[in-house]
Amino acid sequence: MVNASLPLSRFTIVEVNDSDVPLCLRLATSLAAKIAADLGADVIKVEPPDGDPARAAPPFLPSGASALFQFLNTSKRALVLDLATAAGRGRLSQLLDRADACLFEEPASVAPMLRAGRATPIEIAGFPSQMAAARRPVSELAIQALGGLMHMIGEPDRKPLKLGGHQASYAAGLTAFTGLAVALASRDFGRRAPSVRVSLAEVMQWVNWKAASGAAATGISPGREGLKSEFQVVPCRDGHIAVVYTVTQWSALCDLIGDAGLRDGRFETRAGRRRHVADLYAIIAPWFAGKTRAEIQKQAQAKGVPFGPVFTPAELLTTEQYLARSFLAEMMHPDLGRMRMPQLPVQWNGRSFAPRPAPSLDRREIAA
Amino acid sequence: MTAPLSGVRVLDFGLLTAGANTSAMLADLGADVLKIESGAYLDPFRVVGKMDDADGWWNRSPQFRFTNRNKRGLAINLKDPEGQRVIRALATHCDVVVENFRRGVLDRAGLGYAALKAVNPRLVFAAISSQGDTGPERMNVSFGSTLDATSGIAALTGYEGEIPRISGMDVNYPDQIVSLFAAGIVIAAVMEARHTGEGAFLDFSQREVASFTLGEEILAASACPAHQLEPRGNAEAGVAQQDAYRCKDGRWIAATLPKVDHAVASFCATRDSPEVVATLLSRGIAAAPCHDGGDLLHDATLAGVTLARASDGGLVKGLPYELDGKGVAIVRIAPDLGQHTDEVLRELLGFGDADLAILRKSGVTSTMPTVGEV
Repeated sequence: MVNASLPLSRFTIVEVNDSDVPLCLRLATSLAAKIAADLGADVIKVEPPDGDPARAAPPFLPSGASALFQFLNTSKRALVLDLATAAGRGRLSQLLDRADACLFEEPASVAPMLRAGRATPIEIAGFPSQMAAARRPVSELAIQALGGLMHMIGEPDRKPLKLGGHQASYAAGLTAFTGLAVALASRDFGRRAPSVRVSLAEVMQWVNWKAASGAAATGISPGREGLKSEFQVVPCRDGHIAVVYTVTQWSALCDLIGDAGLRDGRFETRAGRRRHVADLYAIIAPWFAGKTRAEIQKQAQAKGVPFGPVFTPAELLTTEQYLARSFLAEMMHPDLGRMRMPQLPVQWNGRSFAPRPAPSLDRREIAA
Repeated sequence: MTAPLSGVRVLDFGLLTAGANTSAMLADLGADVLKIESGAYLDPFRVVGKMDDADGWWNRSPQFRFTNRNKRGLAINLKDPEGQRVIRALATHCDVVVENFRRGVLDRAGLGYAALKAVNPRLVFAAISSQGDTGPERMNVSFGSTLDATSGIAALTGYEGEIPRISGMDVNYPDQIVSLFAAGIVIAAVMEARHTGEGAFLDFSQREVASFTLGEEILAASACPAHQLEPRGNAEAGVAQQDAYRCKDGRWIAATLPKVDHAVASFCATRDSPEVVATLLSRGIAAAPCHDGGDLLHDATLAGVTLARASDGGLVKGLPYELDGKGVAIVRIAPDLGQHTDEVLRELLGFGDADLAILRKSGVTSTMPTVGEV
């Protein structure tokens, strides 16, 4: 399965899926290893006898297979090991001896063994180690709360909201991939590789750095502004548009909407627009109501105004830009048939990295 | 320990978060990052974070200082043919270029990938843009939350059954995550360049990075057109019950329950948030306070490695991970505009006092902005 012309093809990576680990940590581990696998690394996914619980996690394909698992485990090989037995741990130890790096979650029973092995350890945790991280209950929602992201989304007088999708796990997964690349590069350059520890809570806090920066600079934390924000989501004829623009694009926005009322002194500065935001939207919202997202985007882009049409995941499948860049790869799975999913979001000298099917549990592909 | 990327040099045209933070992550790993700006074009973070109008305001922006520590700063006019020659000469001493200009800007300055590859075939050139370097929308403009909308994230965010929501200007979520991914890919490409002697053009679309985080939803939708999604508050498929709850002290907490329990809301409403969180955690339920920026600043344990103090005491961005159990070493604070121009041109290009004086006098190099707004 390893393609010698791919950039990471000379590396072997073990992804250890121990039993009884919170799913939100597993999603981060699996995403990081998937990126390496799509880039050509030989990724051996060690699963417990019952399989990775992500195999039974939503959303599901019509066949009943997990779309989540299929997306997160492309291009890997799978090996079932019972790590509760000495034989299973012995086999894992052999794998580690010839691997460059291993990825695992902090609560794993085999974590001490993995930290001490020859393969550079990349460890995924919920929290900083000082927070009794291995024992503290964790969920993606709790991470988005703790990292301050929820405080930023929604209406100020209503409950705070999470960002859609598995953002807490996947931001950590992207981070763990970069940590993995650091480990591989250190080894490749003949240096001792540092061990890497990624916690979902710290990544979320890092992503939300403007909240801390803003609070440090002014003494007041930024927070969710909802309908008081200068940026609103407004309805249009066939959906919604995010109204977004920079200070320097205000004048172009006025030209685009073409209502003389926008040239009123109240709206001249950002501070003024924020103070009179309801009046502002009373003027601009009607412009959107009769137009489609496509018409709005075309007219706005012509003026250099970055309005964002809201697309659902289903609509992305027919997006012209994604079709032109073949971003959504076609893949034939031996058991599940034809699939379309996003491939790695990078083109390398014009080349894309087509994912290969995720391994079946019953096939028990044994690493040579 | 030798830093993982010591010996790697980066020519950094990165601006705001998407570009400048990708190169900051490389700087934290030991790369020598040379940030190129000019008097006529500052990193917009210098202006967005303007604190006052006094002389030197462009060196005091918190957002700029947060994102550009551990870099050296040069101010060289990209529009001047002599400035372009100097930058091409610098490129021969670099391993990596990071840029997130609108497509075509560097090409017009004779500093695009083709031009720089001609003088240094080993260069890894990371081009980070809204839509990528190809396709009908390659010239489209976007700003932060535009991509919440166009990537699909907004469609899944919001109160139950209400309008979609964006992360907004104080988060600009898609700008943050691209650097977490791009830094790793750049490192992989540097490894490859060391082996083969050939660099690479890395074309990153920020919108694709954001959509990539919804991979399973796109896959499910492709297999079943009925897989339509809408904002569902804080609920999550496969999770019995989870939401934010308001406590007696007026603060919000978030909790994820293994089974449905309608009493949680009233339990929270009658107790202060610290007690609620402690009680839920002790029962094995994932729970946390909904922190604001002030809480993040004051919780030293949670801040862990993600915030750091520079030598001048200023708060700056740390690392998103621990390496050997440690965070980032802040070797230098963010550069003043053009602070290291002369130092770097002497060191890498052998320029002398007379050469530097000519560049300064002709306005090719500078330490003062010639613009007030960007």
